[in-house]
Amino acid sequence: MNHTDEMKPKERMLSILQGKQADRLLVSPLILNFASRSLNLTVRDFCTNGRNMGDANIACFNKYRHDIVYIFSTTSTVAEAMGTKMYFPEDDAPQVETPFIQTRKDIEKLKPVDPEKDGRLPVYLEAVKRCMDAIGNEVFIVPVIGAPFTTSAALRGTETFIKELYTDPELVHTVMKVATQSVKNVIDVYVKAGGVPVTVEPVATGSMISEKHFREFVLPYLKEVYAHIHSYNLPGVLHICGKTKRVIQCMAESGADILSIDNIDLQEAKELVGQKVCIMGNVSPADGMLKGNPETITLMVKDCVAKASDNPKGFIVATGCEVPIHTPHENMVAFLEAGRTFARLPINLN
Amino acid sequence: MDANKHKILNDLAQAVIEMDAPRAVKAATEAIYCKIDPYEIITDGLARGMDKVNELFEQEEYFVPEILLCADTMNAGIEVVRPHLPKENTRDKKKVVIGVVKGDTHDIGKNLVKIMLDNAGFEIYDLGRNVPYAKFVDTAGELNADLVCLSTLMTTTMDGMQVVIEDIKNAGIVSRIMVGGGPISPGFAKRIGADGYAKNAAEAVKVAKGLFQNIHVPLTFKTPELVRVRKKNS
Repeated sequence: MNHTDEMKPKERMLSILQGKQADRLLVSPLILNFASRSLNLTVRDFCTNGRNMGDANIACFNKYRHDIVYIFSTTSTVAEAMGTKMYFPEDDAPQVETPFIQTRKDIEKLKPVDPEKDGRLPVYLEAVKRCMDAIGNEVFIVPVIGAPFTTSAALRGTETFIKELYTDPELVHTVMKVATQSVKNVIDVYVKAGGVPVTVEPVATGSMISEKHFREFVLPYLKEVYAHIHSYNLPGVLHICGKTKRVIQCMAESGADILSIDNIDLQEAKELVGQKVCIMGNVSPADGMLKGNPETITLMVKDCVAKASDNPKGFIVATGCEVPIHTPHENMVAFLEAGRTFARLPINLN
Repeated sequence: MDANKHKILNDLAQAVIEMDAPRAVKAATEAIYCKIDPYEIITDGLARGMDKVNELFEQEEYFVPEILLCADTMNAGIEVVRPHLPKENTRDKKKVVIGVVKGDTHDIGKNLVKIMLDNAGFEIYDLGRNVPYAKFVDTAGELNADLVCLSTLMTTTMDGMQVVIEDIKNAGIVSRIMVGGGPISPGFAKRIGADGYAKNAAEAVKVAKGLFQNIHVPLTFKTPELVRVRKKNS
């Protein structure tokens, strides 16, 4: 299936990061819980056991040879490790059940995570290590971390938390500070294990909060996170799904080098932030991957390449958000095939 | 007196827009003291403010935190007025059953739609989140609901909407159905047999109203003397 590829995923990514010639652009569908399908695991069995999580991602990589292997189950994993209670559906991503901070007094009990011990962080860590051992020489292993605002929202309950942007900004900043420290702790252990951590901040989407709030409550902490990632000489990746047009300028100011975006026209994104950052996106997970067919997906990939492959700071062919777990195999194959065909350098879409 | 009444009603609307609950309570108390009709206090004061909030949301001046706080403010005002309302008469209100389909616990979008529809004069029966399919069907049937609103944020639960819609139709319930949520597109809504699709809470009001323009939903089922599950969010 990868007959057109001349480079290994890791080699390709390194070439691109170092500004050298590569055979094609990176093609990186956001394969997260979908990886469970490669070992016929339920999502619950996948995401609660490091061995399963690692081995399923290894099997998935060997099947599809996608350019980046992500380790992820939910954006609330750091919050979970800090005390938020999760609900684990049998075959779907975990969701927040009871936020840790029930009353204002609970913030006194809040402390930064110990990633070797707390919650399911050891599960992720084991998965990263297994992947590093098995396929780490061929592809970058990229654990995905809920960024401070998303983590804080899961600690407090999103609805309450975003109201407190007005009613209790002091609480918001207090929680954000501890969450930021947790995120940095998690980054440290992932890097030590050989992973390249990326952060996701979906609660700060333009569908949810204003640019003003983003600047006041989200941006300073993101900057801290990316400065920390840069201290390891690693690139910063920021994913925000939903409508991002409103906040994409702020995203580009966060220090992240690559923005993974969802519901925005790539042409427009390129014009807004293309001089500053690499962009990745944005085939629709629902209308494309899940409900589309190989023909429509091929067209969607081609359209993305047509719109953004000339982005000054680079482009990565991706899905706008997580690949749905029930995505048909042939749709995934079509996405990757189309990526390999159209993203081949130099770009020639005819 | 009329100038004063005008001033109080404006104050109420403004309090809602500015998310100022103490001011809404104070103005509502004053309105009652001045013997302004309780319905007017709500309709021409508090709800008028909420209409403006809806507009601001549509224009992307206001976002989710603002709407939640404006709604809290409006509810604080309504609580002051409530004891002074005559025994409720909601016969001509359209009944809406709303919820997040099973498998999904993300309910902010649903709550926004609920706030907006409530304000637009619909009678809301909120089933909450992670709602089993049958619960939608049973409640719609029991209440003889005019409209059923289904919401989801997840791709894994969107197919559940189709199940609910089919079950509602198979049960012979004539409720109209509106769907929405992150992964839902108008095309998907149409394919699964929904009557309406709204891309956000502001649009939901327009779509819901549109569904009932010049259309009389026949009352073919038993009259709803059943349980009142209406919940107030405050």
